[in-house]
Amino acid sequence: MSTSSLGSYYRTMITVAVVLLAMAFLFSSLRIDTWVALKPFFEWMGTTWFGVIGTTWGAAFAVVEAFHLLAMALMGGAIIVSDGRLLGIGFSEMDEREVLDKSHKIFSWGLAVVLLTGVFMACGVAMKIYYLEVYWYKMLALLVGILFAYFVKKPLLKKDLQDISPLVRRAVALSSLVVWFSVAGAGRWIGFSG
Amino acid sequence: MSDNNKAGMDDLQMSALAASATILVFAAIYWVVQIQGVREMLDMAYG
Repeated sequence: MSTSSLGSYYRTMITVAVVLLAMAFLFSSLRIDTWVALKPFFEWMGTTWFGVIGTTWGAAFAVVEAFHLLAMALMGGAIIVSDGRLLGIGFSEMDEREVLDKSHKIFSWGLAVVLLTGVFMACGVAMKIYYLEVYWYKMLALLVGILFAYFVKKPLLKKDLQDISPLVRRAVALSSLVVWFSVAGAGRWIGFSG
Repeated sequence: MSDNNKAGMDDLQMSALAASATILVFAAIYWVVQIQGVREMLDMAYG
């Protein structure tokens, strides 16, 4: 393969490099070092206004949590519609471009609300989640999901949909569903963890 | 379609496929390990 043809695959090379760096981070002592280094930050989160309100005023935490869950439901719906359409198992009577664009807009609003309410909730239970393994699974899945949605799926779907191979469409839709269901499942698991 | 656009399109699909394959393989290994762990615990508990 010539250098110029390798150069035309720069996005693929960046993707592979990011995957390798993530693997190196996950399977090295750097992961534990980062976790230890983040402890003062989580202690500080508990002392902020959000932390004090979340800890002392249970009703406020519950109301914010309700909006967090509603936004998660909105996001989940948008993901199911978008990926279902890509897999050809729903909304097939509607224009594909319109379904994908509108569901992405709803997904983005849902994600913004999830992140804002999530920060408030994290401050309220900062030290609890710091020691909770599943919280870090959720954050990892969330980070992967956001990177995948905005740097892989969205740029791909900007192109003419007819030019995308059926294999790529199915792989992108399935992996998107897997990542976001992992985020939702890990979030539910945090609730089970006391 | 120009050569540049064609190459860009191939690159987008290739990177999407690489990212998707990584996620699916990682998820498959993770769930196989989790299910094995649960089965071992059930074996220890109930024989």
